[in-house]
Amino acid sequence: MSRDSAAPNEEYEALIQFLYLAPVGLVQAGIDGQIAMMNPIAAQLLMPLSRDGSLDNLFIALEGVAPELRCLAERHDQPAGKICDGLHVHLNAGGAKRGPQILSLTLLKLDASRMMAVISDITEQVRRERRLRQNEAWLNAILTGVTDYALVSLDLQGRICEWNPSIGRVTGFGADIEGQPYAIFYPDDAITPEHQQDRLREADANGWALDEGRRLRADGSTFWGSALIAPLPDREPLPGDDDATPAYCLILRDIGDGRAQRERRRDAAYTDHLTGLANRRALFEAAQLELDRSRVNPRPTALLVIDADHFKAINDRHGHPGGDAVLRHLAGILGDSFREVDLVARIGGEEFAVLLPSTGLARANTVAERLRASVAASAASFDDNRIDYAVSIGVAVASDGGASVDLLLKHADAALYTAKRAGRNRVASWPLAPQADAHQPENPDVP
Amino acid sequence: MTVAPISFDTPDLAIRLEQCSPEELDALDFGVIGFGPDTLVHRYNAFESEAAGLSPQRVLEQPLFTNVAPCLNNFMVAQRFEDAQDDSSELDATLDYVLTLRMRPVKVALRLLANPGGATRYVLVQRQPR
Repeated sequence: MSRDSAAPNEEYEALIQFLYLAPVGLVQAGIDGQIAMMNPIAAQLLMPLSRDGSLDNLFIALEGVAPELRCLAERHDQPAGKICDGLHVHLNAGGAKRGPQILSLTLLKLDASRMMAVISDITEQVRRERRLRQNEAWLNAILTGVTDYALVSLDLQGRICEWNPSIGRVTGFGADIEGQPYAIFYPDDAITPEHQQDRLREADANGWALDEGRRLRADGSTFWGSALIAPLPDREPLPGDDDATPAYCLILRDIGDGRAQRERRRDAAYTDHLTGLANRRALFEAAQLELDRSRVNPRPTALLVIDADHFKAINDRHGHPGGDAVLRHLAGILGDSFREVDLVARIGGEEFAVLLPSTGLARANTVAERLRASVAASAASFDDNRIDYAVSIGVAVASDGGASVDLLLKHADAALYTAKRAGRNRVASWPLAPQADAHQPENPDVP
Repeated sequence: MTVAPISFDTPDLAIRLEQCSPEELDALDFGVIGFGPDTLVHRYNAFESEAAGLSPQRVLEQPLFTNVAPCLNNFMVAQRFEDAQDDSSELDATLDYVLTLRMRPVKVALRLLANPGGATRYVLVQRQPR
């Protein structure tokens, strides 16, 4: 750079230092993402994300964690204005690595050729807001006007102790549910036996446990319900107590009215805009929660990482809209292939992940292989073209919560890499076998 | 008496820099930032001052990772000094980085130097040809 090195101009220097020290990241870039200027906090936050050690292009620097940015900028059809405002970008699930987990990103289009970005680390702020939301959910459960509620007593194992008319009114179940686990109020696949125990342990630890979601009536119809579980006072076991002594109370309420609003708010923050699947944030939070719980109540947790093969070639041949059609098609198959308790997320450009609670390696390999085969047997359609494609899948399992989310993801990524190297359209799992561990498509290695 | 000239990749550089006078540091053709265990900057040479557009009096006795070069305050740089201090180990690592000198992204090589017993740690900055 050929800058004049004349006597330092005090005012200029003060201005430079002001920008050096501004506690947010500032970037000016071309509309194609090419970076013209940036301040130190921007480099501090973006350097760890750069895959090639450079910071030439904002979209490329953020591609691994916010693949939608380029597309958002391209689709912005106003001459100027905000392209996104405070978009949450999830970097990692926390753990060993220090540093930010969540960035906030605002992109402002200045004119046809330039934009500014404001980037800040909002990890702590989001954590605080999450705690507030939990309090809000708790208050909702207690205070929101509801038409009716069912009051159910549960024994130490979470089995229903006694039928009463409120259960009949809200759920339609009859007296024959006595002795059944409270999972009977959940749709199939929406709760595992381990999750049922988790909620009881959380109620023991915190005084209450609350969850919202789809609940089941006796006639098979569902409603949006909140379930609050609280340990009953004076439930120190007494001599002579049998297993069926009430230990918890479950309050089950139909909160259908407020659901749409809450869902929308939740959707914006937890959904990938292109595919409608969960996003990185949702995956990281769900995986962290599952691993935390599985340390208390041991069971395996599986993670699949799924990557569309030769995706760049698909984009080159059919253009980005063709690529998007493949991603949506793949998202559709993913959405239909798993249990309700599993979480399917898009975590990168053409990378997806599925969290499988209470699932060991053999089972995870089985479902991964089934998924691989079903993608290979179908095709996306775009502009009257049939786009055949395949996926490679990496599988990793954490036993008894003995791993961080980042480590689990790293293992699944390593397995994915093995599957790719072995020729793609394959499933491979961690730990990697000494030789190529990738399963041949014709020979699914399923015990 | 003349000494072998100092360059960015001279071995055992921390000891050599320790013996340099401020004038000798100013004569080097790469940036030198020296700081103590409390991260306060003690040494700041002319090359770095010119590149960053900041005179030494704005930088000296300021904490490096928050008030001087916040762009280095992450696991790639700051954490490595902390780790070296925690395990009393020697640090001598070179990595590619991007600094924002006068808000222009500039590709550089950084060399990070710390000795368990030494009073001063160093971040050395060398411009890379683009």
